[in-house]
Amino acid sequence: MHVAASLQQSLSPNTIKVIPMPIYNPALPFIDTKETRRYAGLARAENFAEQRIIEACEDARLLATPRGCYEIYDYDCENQMIAADPLTHIIGEKIGAHLQGCDKVIVLAVTVGPGIENESSACFQRGEYSHGQLLDAAATTAVEQLADSLEDLLRPRAAAQSYRMRWRFSPGYGDWPLEQQPELLRLTGAERIGVHLTDSLMLDPQKSVTAIIGLYHDTPQAASAPHTKAGCASCNKLDCPSRQV
Amino acid sequence: MIHIFDGAMGTMLQAGGLQPGACPELMNIEHPEVVRAVHEAYIDAGATIIETNTFGASPLKLDHYGLTDRMAELNAAAVKIAKAAAAERAKVAGSMGPTGRFIEPLGDLDFEEAYGAFKAQAKALAEAGADYIIIETCIDIQEMRAALLAVHDVAPQTPVICQLSYSEDGRTVTGTDPQSAAIILEAMGADVIGVNCSLGPEQLVPIVKTLAANCRVPISVQPNAGLPHLENGKTVFPMSPADFGHWGPALLDAGATYLGGCCGTTPAHIRALAKSVSHLPEPRRATQEEPRRLWLASRSRSVCIDKDLPPQLIGERINPTGRKKLAAEIKTGSLLVVKKEAVNQVKAGANLLDVNMGVAGIDEAAAMQRAVKEIAQLTDVPLAVDTGDAKALEAGLRAYPGRALVNSVTCEPNRIRDFLPLAKKYGAAILCLPIAEDGVQKTAEKRLATQKRIIAAAKEAGLKDGDFLLDALVMTISADAGAAQEVLRTLQLYRQELGYPSTMGLSNVSFGLPNRPLINSTFFAMCLAAGLDAPIMNPYDEAMQNAFLAGKALIGKDPCGLDYSRTAVNMAAPQKAATAKPSNLDTLSALKQAVIDGEKDAVPELVDKAVKEGHSTNEITAKALTAAMTDIGVDFGAGRMFLPQVLLSAETMRAAFDRLKVLLPASTEATKGTFVIATVKGDVHDLGKNITGALLANSGYQLVDLGKDVDSETIVREAIARDADIVGLAALMTTTMVQIDKVIADLRAAGCQAKVMVGGAAVTQEYADSAGADAYAADGVKAVELADELLAQKKN
Repeated sequence: MHVAASLQQSLSPNTIKVIPMPIYNPALPFIDTKETRRYAGLARAENFAEQRIIEACEDARLLATPRGCYEIYDYDCENQMIAADPLTHIIGEKIGAHLQGCDKVIVLAVTVGPGIENESSACFQRGEYSHGQLLDAAATTAVEQLADSLEDLLRPRAAAQSYRMRWRFSPGYGDWPLEQQPELLRLTGAERIGVHLTDSLMLDPQKSVTAIIGLYHDTPQAASAPHTKAGCASCNKLDCPSRQV
Repeated sequence: MIHIFDGAMGTMLQAGGLQPGACPELMNIEHPEVVRAVHEAYIDAGATIIETNTFGASPLKLDHYGLTDRMAELNAAAVKIAKAAAAERAKVAGSMGPTGRFIEPLGDLDFEEAYGAFKAQAKALAEAGADYIIIETCIDIQEMRAALLAVHDVAPQTPVICQLSYSEDGRTVTGTDPQSAAIILEAMGADVIGVNCSLGPEQLVPIVKTLAANCRVPISVQPNAGLPHLENGKTVFPMSPADFGHWGPALLDAGATYLGGCCGTTPAHIRALAKSVSHLPEPRRATQEEPRRLWLASRSRSVCIDKDLPPQLIGERINPTGRKKLAAEIKTGSLLVVKKEAVNQVKAGANLLDVNMGVAGIDEAAAMQRAVKEIAQLTDVPLAVDTGDAKALEAGLRAYPGRALVNSVTCEPNRIRDFLPLAKKYGAAILCLPIAEDGVQKTAEKRLATQKRIIAAAKEAGLKDGDFLLDALVMTISADAGAAQEVLRTLQLYRQELGYPSTMGLSNVSFGLPNRPLINSTFFAMCLAAGLDAPIMNPYDEAMQNAFLAGKALIGKDPCGLDYSRTAVNMAAPQKAATAKPSNLDTLSALKQAVIDGEKDAVPELVDKAVKEGHSTNEITAKALTAAMTDIGVDFGAGRMFLPQVLLSAETMRAAFDRLKVLLPASTEATKGTFVIATVKGDVHDLGKNITGALLANSGYQLVDLGKDVDSETIVREAIARDADIVGLAALMTTTMVQIDKVIADLRAAGCQAKVMVGGAAVTQEYADSAGADAYAADGVKAVELADELLAQKKN
């Protein structure tokens, strides 16, 4: 039998030679219409035509060029330090608490590419306001789905080494400053999937996500850390129309 | 015969001194005695096939350790050790694991690079004398295809075992189900098909069953010793040898005859497994006795075409022949229309998609490769590669992560010579077209005879029953009155004499006649009755879809007319009225309501009516349009109406203004004021700005949209040049918000008198106040309200 996944598809970073970080471009077999509704601010709307949502999701799917990449690093949760070269300090109490008990982290970047946002802007130019906004919501849904797909890819690999995954956390959540976005781009190698950072630390294309996922062994210490999914609850924007209560 | 594989190697090598982070394959050179001891322990435990210590010995993986140049040496040494350990007691399988990267378009690895790496490794293993090659732990069917093709090319005599890894949902991480895997890999000539790693034996039983039910080759299974957990800082697989062995009979019963272990298994596990099945007979496989059916598969879905099943629609729209726009687009290299056609045809009911990239003056092979890759990422129906060019055919088949249909093979010598070996190599089925050296065959008898010749040649090339779809060849009735009759006879003859499923492109029959849909759909119904199994057609054609629906019910392939009833009931349902609802409202109130409801199509008619009734532009604007916007603002503020609905209303408003401009051009010039809007420098998000702009532009403001990422200098210059009444500034993030301060300061310094309104996700009232803005708009609707207030202030 093969030299087990535990070695060859190792979760540990290679220590001998710099290897190309993995790229995974998940397929987008559909874009979730329910989530698109929510991102469009329609969560509580009762009579908005489903057909418009479906059309926006279909158009967005055609315009999307899904791409993703990730890397796995050792992590020192006491000092909030990622064992990359150079070492990367993760700033923030909330993110620190979130990664408590983790000895590895996955950093990932995904994007749906520039196609949808360009078309959304073009829609506004043409006076198709509603479709433009729905496309934007569909793109948001899509990029989250891509991040989910990356998690689906990595979960079994982590499980093979008895690791479990914390929910993904992005710069700007809680007190994790956006100023760490450049580190995330470097750690993920996101420029290889066409994701760049503007001078003001915005991701370009806009519909991109960078995130960190803590890996922990299911031990009593780790279990005591606060790692239940907070989602919308971790955000301070209480009047957000997409907020899930 | 029942074969027993060995179990995990990595943990045993570690026990023998392999250091974490070191290259396991280097042990083949540096500590062959350790590797050999592992092999011997497994053989002693009852393994009849041992795997070489080469799982990561592909050039791509060895590159991680800087050992690429020792690839052949490491693989050869591994086979040598294994053979020495095996002596005559066991066979040696040369192990090839995945590259660790994804093949395009799922990743950045070129198919040919993966193929090349597998080819080099397979060559080294085979030359050193491996009895089998085992490709294992793959999670991407395309990588498995690359590896299998590579082995066939360098070691055609060596049997190949192909094992994918499945997740708990029963699919590989990249979406392949075991049925599709079995269909694709058997057609490509895998000698054993199986599954290893990821899951324990219990979870693999159903996967083995599905594999066994969908191919005739032997099935292999190598489970992990359960799902791992952590104990005292170590990853532990929970299953004891006895527990593991306990599953042997169940795996055998599910259809596997090659049994072994993966992560967490030891010689003791293998001993228990071997013992548990030693007294048992080989399982009976029903598939081996059934006739072969025509199955096609994408990466994640399989489709069967056969005479006892409902007909399957092959969508014909991805074909630039006679479609100038599509041809022009393909020529520019864009595939947007092609992708749209793919998605829409599937939505319209296509079960397979034909892909033709035949545009003059382009590299057809390159275009076919791209189209196949992109369509396969977007839809899950199997594809037909439609071309007369062998290079384009190979490009399409090679790129397709599934089992495709070749459209088409005729009896012409070059097609027989070039196309059949490609179909065999890539595991494709073929659409057989009764055209011979002397052209189209006219009579049913001659068509049958030609088909027999094509099939004989195909079988000689290695194809089998289940690989054929027979085209009945439709000619036009305006040229030959008997053409349609001949097709019906051909279908019947095919069924009686050959029994393979049939297909045809239908629309040719009506060429040159008026009202072609009627002829086509009538002919379609007749063909269904005569035995047509897979029509190639335009799935958007309503007449054809209706004939299909009714025809299926009439020939008994829609039991009790269930599909028909469902669809027919829907068709009979009253259509929603496209125009304004009849109401007792006066015209201006009706117009206002139409705007609120976002009924864009109803608006022009209502505006016409209002003008005809003598209402002035001001009256229409004030009493219908502005009044609607006021109501919308209130409803939005109260949470009764939501943003997309507000935007629909704005679109409707725009339609009303557009109509007014046409009817009363002179009277629509006056505006409330000029609003210059921009997203500030450094900020590339313009959705919020766009929404606000859309609402303002349709509330009577002359809107000047400067776009996103606009520097202060431009904003100040434009504000002054356009004599702006209000300047609106948007910023989404805390990092870009500071630009607002700068723009306001610059505007004031330049003496600009415009009021300034600010907004954006991170902006607050406090921030707006500190920056010296005149207003803070929390959303687009609020912006319109505030703009009106600011203007009123300005006038006072």
